[in-house]
Amino acid sequence: MPRKIVKSKYFFEEDFIETIGEVSTEKVKDWGPNSQLKVVGKSLSRIDGYDKVSGTAKFSFDISLPNMVYAKTLRCPLPHAKIKKIDISEAKKVPGVLAVLTYENAPKIPWYYGMSFLFDPHLRYEGDEVACIAAETEQIAVDALKLIHVEYEELPFVVDAGAAMKPGAAKVHDAGNVVRGEPQIYKRGDIEKGFKQADVVVEDTFSTQVEIHNPTEPHCSVVNWDGSRLTIWDSTQGVFSVRDAIAGYLKMPASKVRVIKKYMGGAFGSKLEAGKYTVMAALLARETGRPVRIALDRRAMNLAVGNRPGSVQKLKVGAKKDGTLTAMNHYSYGAAGAYPSGAGCSRPFRTLYKCFNVRSEEYTVFINTGRGRPFRAPGHVQGTFAFESIIDETAEKIGMDPLAFRIKNYAEVDPASNRPYTGKLLRQAYKRGAAAIGWQDRKPAGSGSGPVKTGLGVATQIWWGGGGPPAYATLKLNRDGSAHVIAGSQDLGTGTYTFIAQVAAEVLEIPMEKIQVTLGDTAVAPYCGSSGGSTTAPSVSPAVRDAAEQMKTKLISAAAAVLEIPGNQLVYKNGIISVKNKPDKKLTIANIVRRMRERVLLTTGARNANPSGYAINTFGAQFARVEVDTYTGRISVKKIVAAHDIGRVLNRKTLENQVHGGILQGLGFALIEERVMDEFTGKMLNANLYDYKMPAIYNVPEIEVIIVSEGDAKISNTGVKGIGEPAMIPTPAAIANAVYNAIGVRLKSLPITPDKVLMALQG
Amino acid sequence: MKTIKIQLLVNNNEYEVSVSPNETLLDILRERLGLTGTKRGCEIGECGACTVVMNGEAVNSCLILAPQADGSKIMTVEGLMRNGEYHPLQQSFLNHDAVHCGFCTPGMLMSAYVLLQQKQNPTETGIKQAIAGNLCRCTGYQQIVEAIGDVGKKGETD
Amino acid sequence: MNNFTYFQPKTLQEAGEMFGKSWHETTALAGGTDLLGLMKDDIEAPRNVVNLKSLPGLNRISYQPGKGLKIGALTSIAKIASHSDINKRYPVLAQAAKQVASPQLRNVGTIGGNICQRPRCWYFRGDFHCLRKGGDICYAVDGKNKYHCVIGGGPCFIVHPSDMAVALLALDAKLTVYSGGKNKTVAIGDFFVLPEKNVRRENILLPGEIVVDIRIQELNNNTKSGYVKFAERGVWDFAVVSVAAVIQKNGNALKKGRVVLGGVAPAPWFEKKISKKLSGLIPSEKNLDEIMKTALVDAEPLAMNEYKLPLAKNLMKRLIGELTA
Repeated sequence: MPRKIVKSKYFFEEDFIETIGEVSTEKVKDWGPNSQLKVVGKSLSRIDGYDKVSGTAKFSFDISLPNMVYAKTLRCPLPHAKIKKIDISEAKKVPGVLAVLTYENAPKIPWYYGMSFLFDPHLRYEGDEVACIAAETEQIAVDALKLIHVEYEELPFVVDAGAAMKPGAAKVHDAGNVVRGEPQIYKRGDIEKGFKQADVVVEDTFSTQVEIHNPTEPHCSVVNWDGSRLTIWDSTQGVFSVRDAIAGYLKMPASKVRVIKKYMGGAFGSKLEAGKYTVMAALLARETGRPVRIALDRRAMNLAVGNRPGSVQKLKVGAKKDGTLTAMNHYSYGAAGAYPSGAGCSRPFRTLYKCFNVRSEEYTVFINTGRGRPFRAPGHVQGTFAFESIIDETAEKIGMDPLAFRIKNYAEVDPASNRPYTGKLLRQAYKRGAAAIGWQDRKPAGSGSGPVKTGLGVATQIWWGGGGPPAYATLKLNRDGSAHVIAGSQDLGTGTYTFIAQVAAEVLEIPMEKIQVTLGDTAVAPYCGSSGGSTTAPSVSPAVRDAAEQMKTKLISAAAAVLEIPGNQLVYKNGIISVKNKPDKKLTIANIVRRMRERVLLTTGARNANPSGYAINTFGAQFARVEVDTYTGRISVKKIVAAHDIGRVLNRKTLENQVHGGILQGLGFALIEERVMDEFTGKMLNANLYDYKMPAIYNVPEIEVIIVSEGDAKISNTGVKGIGEPAMIPTPAAIANAVYNAIGVRLKSLPITPDKVLMALQG
Repeated sequence: MKTIKIQLLVNNNEYEVSVSPNETLLDILRERLGLTGTKRGCEIGECGACTVVMNGEAVNSCLILAPQADGSKIMTVEGLMRNGEYHPLQQSFLNHDAVHCGFCTPGMLMSAYVLLQQKQNPTETGIKQAIAGNLCRCTGYQQIVEAIGDVGKKGETD
Repeated sequence: MNNFTYFQPKTLQEAGEMFGKSWHETTALAGGTDLLGLMKDDIEAPRNVVNLKSLPGLNRISYQPGKGLKIGALTSIAKIASHSDINKRYPVLAQAAKQVASPQLRNVGTIGGNICQRPRCWYFRGDFHCLRKGGDICYAVDGKNKYHCVIGGGPCFIVHPSDMAVALLALDAKLTVYSGGKNKTVAIGDFFVLPEKNVRRENILLPGEIVVDIRIQELNNNTKSGYVKFAERGVWDFAVVSVAAVIQKNGNALKKGRVVLGGVAPAPWFEKKISKKLSGLIPSEKNLDEIMKTALVDAEPLAMNEYKLPLAKNLMKRLIGELTA
């Protein structure tokens, strides 16, 4: 099939990426609406379900190899310190201890963009890695860690972003606490002029907390050397990204590193990059000559493998009496943690509504805590909370219904680039969502009587989620008509295994049961990107369709040769090729493959380039109905309606699951989740799953999922956009707006815990 | 601090294991018996991923000292299949897509199993109470509640 | 978790003799749900662990009309939650039991262990050498103290985490404590100690003393009781504030009552003023509002927990209102 190399652009987690990739030039027919499809879009049970309900699913955490040893890490108990002296002699003497790594004996492997090392005697946060022990059992390793004697020089520290911005604050790095030394500034138009045109100007300050990913499966790796070849079973969102990073750290050919991930117990962005623990395990495995399993405990997961940075956002919005936005200003700061990461949150502010005069100024600052990492819609969840809150405030000030105000400022083209969208059905999402929640019955803020008050709120989401190249899928068709699809992507529980089989089944018209899917193995699969940014389905599904369409073409060509009839005279149906108007003259896949004297036919499909000149976005609106008990401050979210435009739905069942999960994470962020730091000692107080409260069953609202879109044919041959991140983005803002509507007092700091509600009600 | 011999009946198989007092039932199941279906998420009873059925009750196996389990009858997720057939709960979890990443699923299934042993057709509130000690970070729980409720309604408790 | 020697005594006497002078050397395991967490977090590292569950006969519940209720100290919380006489006669206790932690923990956790559990203060549970662990300072008093006590604190500001203890104090329960070869009776009101008396322990038990059972008197037929717990997550969470009330009615007015607060003090907190004012009170909304003005008047909230005062008053008002409606 003809190929060409093209440039393409897509958004991944925190910024746009330009890629150059090999894509198919052949245009295949658009599928049209899902109603015309047989398998894609249906509510099918996940094909990997057996493994997960029977207990046979091997998560990386469950991999056990003969003669395996266990590694555990000693972590710095202080927020900022230098190691004056480290003594491992006593630990090494413990029976069963096999090897101990510290900065004194480990290779100096650069880490964090060259700002530090795998082991660095300069420790910049509580939880920073000090030493790593390999032992016969995990318990021996844990006990031996206590016998490593470290003398620390305690250094001044800062664990609050606002404090870190002040002159004279303790320095995390010598170059100063502002990452890159300056803010990120964005502007279009002239905000001064715009504010002068405004009839009302609203200013307010919002803050959001640090959120910890806390996936259920701990970060872990099992590593094994066979001579110079290294195999890693890793709990990761990106097998190729881990492979290349590890090959780089260990200075070995990437071909000698094999990374495998079959099942993973959640990640949400915290497993997008290779962990220090993996490299430590590889070093220890080399030293001991035995396989090593390393798994973080829950405390380390809270301290050291990422978080959603907090934010303080000062917003100013100007609007005319008719609702037209005239100018908007956004100033924010948030903490990267001890090493670079992004704390910016202004992208929804810049792109959600039509407004010509816009400015944002964002500071990311270093503090002495674990580093931030992308967390489900990085920047967007916190940015949307503040922005959609002040949009409601502005609407109220000019006396407009908040939904009408949003529609008044509807962006027909991308406000940042002036490009048209490949598709935007946000109006339909507003309309159908409003009807489902009963928006017409919304009462003025705080107008209810009795101690329990109800309120309705709305918020909008914008995300990218269009995916893009490079992403490939290999399809192997067996002589018996069964197929095997192999892709270097990952299934995080998001249903990748299943939708791949559906796409292949749709094209090849063979039963789902005949399709096997292999993912997450760098040794056997063609490249796909990491599973983040809601890009997996939009990137991978077109590659699978491409591979399957190629296979169909190949079968038809072969059949044409066998039958000595031109290919255009042949019809492919249900895996059988027959001659037009002569249904008796037919060949099965087995017939063809046998005649070709092959046992396996092979094609590799590629994701096409994204169309140039367009903005590719997902959109959606969520509506929340809440009850606020003014006696206790308890907020109960009774219902969330999630109406989204996310292109084609591949599997309604797994999609709903994904939307529910996103909403519940949004609810946790809105109401209960929060990292708590002790400012006097610089230590985290709630690094466990009791004190760090994630939503439990009690907190679940009724959820109604409405998808207003069919396939977005301008993007790809499947027209799919992502849903993972869009599902979470608007939830906290919708809940916060509903709380205001219920009690008439606006809560501007997340999470909105009962104590804040009670104190706000006291005045 | 000598080792102690304990006897366990796990999924109807008898085991005799020599344990250290500070090993937990979870350690024994996963590391000694190779029953890795039972997961370890927090180690201190806060997530429920390690839930197993012990003498008919749901317990966090991470909080049971191995010697405490001596003589107990244990069931893990691996004991749910019968002659290669799904237990109705497993089938229902698949039908309702009450599974996402799958890490909390074994614990959820064990809590649900005990509930259905004790209550024929549990109410939604009853189901929520039964799985209140099982954290799921991926789903919205609703599919899990529906999956359990469906089995209860059909009366397929075992 | 450190390694230790594990003991399974057959009699109370045998058990009592296994303890030395210090809790640090030998500790008692009832259900173990709290102890194992403490040991895994390196808060406690005993050399010996004595499993009390091997003692026969301490996991029974007996109720005799006219005489009252006796619960063996090793009875599981789940068993109390589902016991029909307790649900009928002592709803405050059943309701408290139903809201303890999670189902898994209620199945294993015991009532004896529940009232002896250690505080949840995140400084105590964390890597801080605080007063309660033998250190020099309380980190909470000027630190993150949203969940800490508003009354009865100093020099340490924990709250007592037990739900059962709050209900038991409202019921004025008596504990049988095995001590040096014989049993003694301790009123539950005398069992817990405030930090000013002993900053290292939450109760009066000495090493080797074992709670054997808990006895509760028969309640008059006109008595209503209930427990309301407010926790941030709603389930599998400790109380921010909880209220237990046992109230005897007399026609339209109240005859007498006992109101106890959880989550506000280092021990379950008997609300003396409110309890006293219930005698003779007509429980109208207005009257309840009026008496609530006297609740927790001696409270000294810390920087982040003032909200507990309106919360406690509102919960008391709601519970008393519901019980007397």
